[in-house]
Amino acid sequence: MKAALIKGLKTLRRSNWLMTLPVVVLLVAGVLFVYSSCYVSDDQTVRPLYERQIVWMIAGLGAYVVLALYDFRRFKRISGWIYGMALALLVAVLFIGTTIYGAKRWLMLFGENGIGIQPSEIAKISMIVLLAHRLSESGRNLAAPREVLIALGLVAVPVALIMKQPDLGTALVFVPTAFIMMFVAGVPFRYLGSLAALGVTLVALLLAALFLPARFDASPETQARIQELTGLSDYQRGRIEVFFHPDKDPLGAGWNKRQSEIAVGSGGLWGKGYLHGTQNILGFLPRSVAPTDFIYSVIAEEEGFFGSLMVLALFGVVLMFGMLTALRTRDAMGRLLCVGVVSLFFCHVFINIAMTVGLMPITGLPLPLLSYGGSFMVIMMSALGIIQSVHIRSHRRDAFR
Amino acid sequence: MSKRDRSEAECLRIRLVMLAMLAALAFLGVNLWRIQVLRAPEYRSSLDRQSMRRVRLPGIRGRIFDRNGICLADNHPSYCIAIYTEELRQRGRWNRTIDRVEEVVNELAEVLGQPPQVTREDISRHVFRRLPLPFLAWRGLDESALARWAECDTVFPGVDIYVEPVRVYPNPERAPHVIGYVGRADPADGGDEPYHYYLPEMEGREGMERVMDSQLRGQSGGRLIRVDASGFKYAETGEREPVAGDDVHLTLDMQIQSVAENVLSNQPGSVVVLDARNGDVLALASSPTFNVESLKSQSEWQRVVNNPDRPLLNRAIGGRYPPGSTFKPLVAVAGLQYKRTTPGTVVNCPGYYMVGNRPFGCWSKRGHGPLTMRKAIEQSCNPFFCDLGVRCEYKRVFHMADSVGFGHRTGIELKGESPGLLPNDEWKRRVMRDGWRPGDTCNVSIGQGALLVTPLQMAVFAAALGNGGHIYRPRLVNYGIPHGDLINRMAWSEKTLSVVRGGMHDVIEAPTGTGKRAKVEGVAMAGKTGTAQYGQGRKHAWMILFAPFDSPRYAVAMVVENEVSGGITAAPRMRHLMEKILVLDGTLPAPGHTPEVSVQG
Repeated sequence: MKAALIKGLKTLRRSNWLMTLPVVVLLVAGVLFVYSSCYVSDDQTVRPLYERQIVWMIAGLGAYVVLALYDFRRFKRISGWIYGMALALLVAVLFIGTTIYGAKRWLMLFGENGIGIQPSEIAKISMIVLLAHRLSESGRNLAAPREVLIALGLVAVPVALIMKQPDLGTALVFVPTAFIMMFVAGVPFRYLGSLAALGVTLVALLLAALFLPARFDASPETQARIQELTGLSDYQRGRIEVFFHPDKDPLGAGWNKRQSEIAVGSGGLWGKGYLHGTQNILGFLPRSVAPTDFIYSVIAEEEGFFGSLMVLALFGVVLMFGMLTALRTRDAMGRLLCVGVVSLFFCHVFINIAMTVGLMPITGLPLPLLSYGGSFMVIMMSALGIIQSVHIRSHRRDAFR
Repeated sequence: MSKRDRSEAECLRIRLVMLAMLAALAFLGVNLWRIQVLRAPEYRSSLDRQSMRRVRLPGIRGRIFDRNGICLADNHPSYCIAIYTEELRQRGRWNRTIDRVEEVVNELAEVLGQPPQVTREDISRHVFRRLPLPFLAWRGLDESALARWAECDTVFPGVDIYVEPVRVYPNPERAPHVIGYVGRADPADGGDEPYHYYLPEMEGREGMERVMDSQLRGQSGGRLIRVDASGFKYAETGEREPVAGDDVHLTLDMQIQSVAENVLSNQPGSVVVLDARNGDVLALASSPTFNVESLKSQSEWQRVVNNPDRPLLNRAIGGRYPPGSTFKPLVAVAGLQYKRTTPGTVVNCPGYYMVGNRPFGCWSKRGHGPLTMRKAIEQSCNPFFCDLGVRCEYKRVFHMADSVGFGHRTGIELKGESPGLLPNDEWKRRVMRDGWRPGDTCNVSIGQGALLVTPLQMAVFAAALGNGGHIYRPRLVNYGIPHGDLINRMAWSEKTLSVVRGGMHDVIEAPTGTGKRAKVEGVAMAGKTGTAQYGQGRKHAWMILFAPFDSPRYAVAMVVENEVSGGITAAPRMRHLMEKILVLDGTLPAPGHTPEVSVQG
């Protein structure tokens, strides 16, 4: 027992402390700003949110340490099982999931008010692990169309299941993550290029379907029929339309976007000070999303440009150390694991912040390490733990063994 | 490609990705600079110097009309004083903001000459829950208070007049059970309601207000107004149009409803008037009534709820009564249709009927002597119908009653309808743990025993007798469709109908009929009285009726609780009701406009 502990500590000593440090700083900032975003709330269930966030933070750190100690090379044997389990959970949530805000995303453990888990979060990490394993196996010819199709299929299945919940934001994160992993693994550019072209075409078609009929004065019925063909729900359409026409519906779909921008903008250079963000206190930023998807606008308002830039820089440091680990390791799977985790992390950070400052339509995507949320926190910390695991096992001794 | 080459190629691509990510983060950083530093003053001003006032534009609730266009539920503007609490927000603890609001309320109370309507608790609840929304400190201000407000020189920042629609019932004591009322409720929490932008909405709580709530309910809109520190309003920056709710037209005829309520004279009971031709509900009166407007006061509400006569119960659809002799026409129809008797069959009434060795008495102690069916209906002879029920066998009586709709809800739009109770062997075994006996058949055949019906069910049955066997769903919402919603078409033969109707005609028109007190000069009618016994010697007075006899247009059921008998209590009220109805539709001349009659009188 004692020996195992000492061995574990010795292993941890070889981890990358320069990456752990910003992670912990961000976690603590997360707790502080979750507190700031809900301390005035009258709602007894919202008020102690930060206490729960502390619990999640500790759970996340635990997962981080465990995954760092776990030899990532053992994933090679169980990657298929993890993936299968994640798919099973995704299917289960469609049937027995709990509906919150109109989407079935949660599996409740230990009864109605127990702990909720989001299978879509587990699916993220399982897809990265399986893809990293498959793409790194020696002897696979990644230029063969069959290999590419299989890899695409492995991504498409969880994406389709998550879209069904519906959780468009989470589903869309999978695509760039898998894309970057395939790019790094060496899938020929002709495939990736055509994939990207396909994606751009689809988005263009979608936007055309949303906006062109109105431009050409088509009858309302025709417009409605064409919009139905896009398969988007009303609120999704509303958010896209609001993105392109900011003045439309400022009280409805445009409300969050506008209020978030005002919060960020009014923060100025130095911010209004911790716990003094008026947008948030007055409830202009809805309290239901302030501690989750819009935590960054709370930070930007209270800490100003320097604060928000600091957070951005901390994220940058975490991302860069992840990539440096990928460059340093000799293990092909380890390399792809790092790339996958960093890409996932990056997608979340970029999309969330871009949405907060009004550069992208509103999508419900949380900000890693800062946003309130249990499953998301544990999964993101596990993913970072995997990077540490790769880092620990990338020392020269190991490499030449 | 060697393994080493491959990993080097991978590292090159990783560096490319790294570069792209750094560039993307830098792009975000630049945008942060643009928004937070370059455009900060713009956003600052939109936050500090001008506060956004969110004004709610209520979606007007639809009105409710009777069939002649008389308005039963309307909206009036009510003037309120709104305090925009967020504009009074003080730095520091929330208590200071609440203090400030309270101060303003007290100052306003002096200016308006009205005592404050809200307590400190109300203020703090609002500040915590709905700070960005206007806080209505006074509702329903009268003109003098409005004038004082307009004349007052003091500037109250963050205070404004607010118009709020209130529901008004022009005749609050008429048909409250049908029209119902509205209440205000906080919408259920946790919904995906657009972004903290709600006030308690009007919501139908009872009656048609509740049933038709989705049609009546409007959709509130909103407006963003920029207000500076002095209260001056700038351009509106955003608007969402409110949508008014749809009006609802009822089949009720308020004039008939009024007469129906008057003849009940607030005694516990009920009157239902249907259009026999299509099931339109012309009147649905339940007594005692209550005043919907006065329910708003807590004490009055308590008084109504605690009243032993239960005014809130809609007796027309929710009252369960034994029908007494008004059920006999159904037994007669069953006997004739299943050919268990003929119109000419003579039964002797010695004043009682023996079931086994137990006598069932007739209301006429001396007995009616030998009777045919027509006479038996006119005289409401118990032994005749006991005999007929036993001869029919109960299953046939049950089947006929079941197809007419007894034991089932009629399907009227209102909530709270009772299906009544049509007992049978299976029911009796379940509830009384005893089999069906001939005595039970005898009891049900004269409308007693476990049998329970609602006045509405009896009216539907009366309508079916009048219109030749069409069971219509009674309907309250008037979509202007002349033909009714047919539920069942009974295959009653002409012969059957002529005998039963003939008996019911004699009930009213013959000088010896049990319902002769209902006779209206000038129009022949058909009906059946009933005196239903329940408890220890207590009686409900019943009467059903259809009129005019030749081409029935109205079908009526009336019950008055705890009265003498159908013939003595219900029949005179029925005459009063029918006289008014037939004058209203022009069948009879209005009393004042017939000189011959008045000269003779």
